[in-house]
Amino acid sequence: MDAMTAPLPVINVEPEDEVRLIGLTPLGDPDAAACDGDFCAIPAHHTQVVVNRRLDDDAV
Amino acid sequence: MSNPIKVDIWSDVQCPWCYIGKRKFEAGAAAAGIPVEVEYHSFELAPDTPVDYEGTPVQYLSERKGFPLEQAKAMIDRVKGIASAVGLDYDYDHIHQTNTVISHELIHFAKSKGRQLEMKERLLKAYFLDGEHVGRIPDLIDIAVELGFDRDEVTEALESHRFLPDVKADMAQAREYGINGVPFFVFEGKYGVSGAQEAETFANVLTQVQSERDV
Repeated sequence: MDAMTAPLPVINVEPEDEVRLIGLTPLGDPDAAACDGDFCAIPAHHTQVVVNRRLDDDAV
Repeated sequence: MSNPIKVDIWSDVQCPWCYIGKRKFEAGAAAAGIPVEVEYHSFELAPDTPVDYEGTPVQYLSERKGFPLEQAKAMIDRVKGIASAVGLDYDYDHIHQTNTVISHELIHFAKSKGRQLEMKERLLKAYFLDGEHVGRIPDLIDIAVELGFDRDEVTEALESHRFLPDVKADMAQAREYGINGVPFFVFEGKYGVSGAQEAETFANVLTQVQSERDV
């Protein structure tokens, strides 16, 4: 087995039950867009989402 | 001039909000006029993704989350629109969904040479804008060589996984902080900011951190 065919190293991370920062003071918008796991959410309040919704509603 | 504010950023190469957040952070730091010292840290969002995933990002999202293809496409189109607003033309038609662990190793390799920021930007650009593969060792070697790194040295580093312990250490630190999502910004080791905040928010955070440091 060479480096090309060797399996990728896997980093095991235990699932987290809840979002809780340890030793850090949270700042900024807690609902800002982020990727969590393999899913990248779009916050409902995001400016572009608002624009798109208004476009969908023919409001722009 | 005051000492720069240290900003540690956890991020993945194939995280759309990480690239958008990077641009917004850079704009916020420029607007605040406060010097920063940035250090990137590895965060693998989907470590079980195969290197050679054959489908498109739309198919990936649909398969992983069970969304209908049309809904997945609409979600990606919205992200493209938001990226465009910060000057990033995401090319989802040519993106290679992949496993990013070795690209993180390459970022650590570049960090060992004092060129981490350059490599981070290059890999984000490779993935989102240029349709390059950031999961395969040969492709990553070519990117590194293009940046001027020694081919033999980077080949040895990636094939031996010499920098994998650094990737693991970053993941462990993220876990200690309770970080589940990225991008995630830690200012001066004390303040945590999650997500692709607006540039103004980043500027405000930097101003606050600076003022509290000056007390």
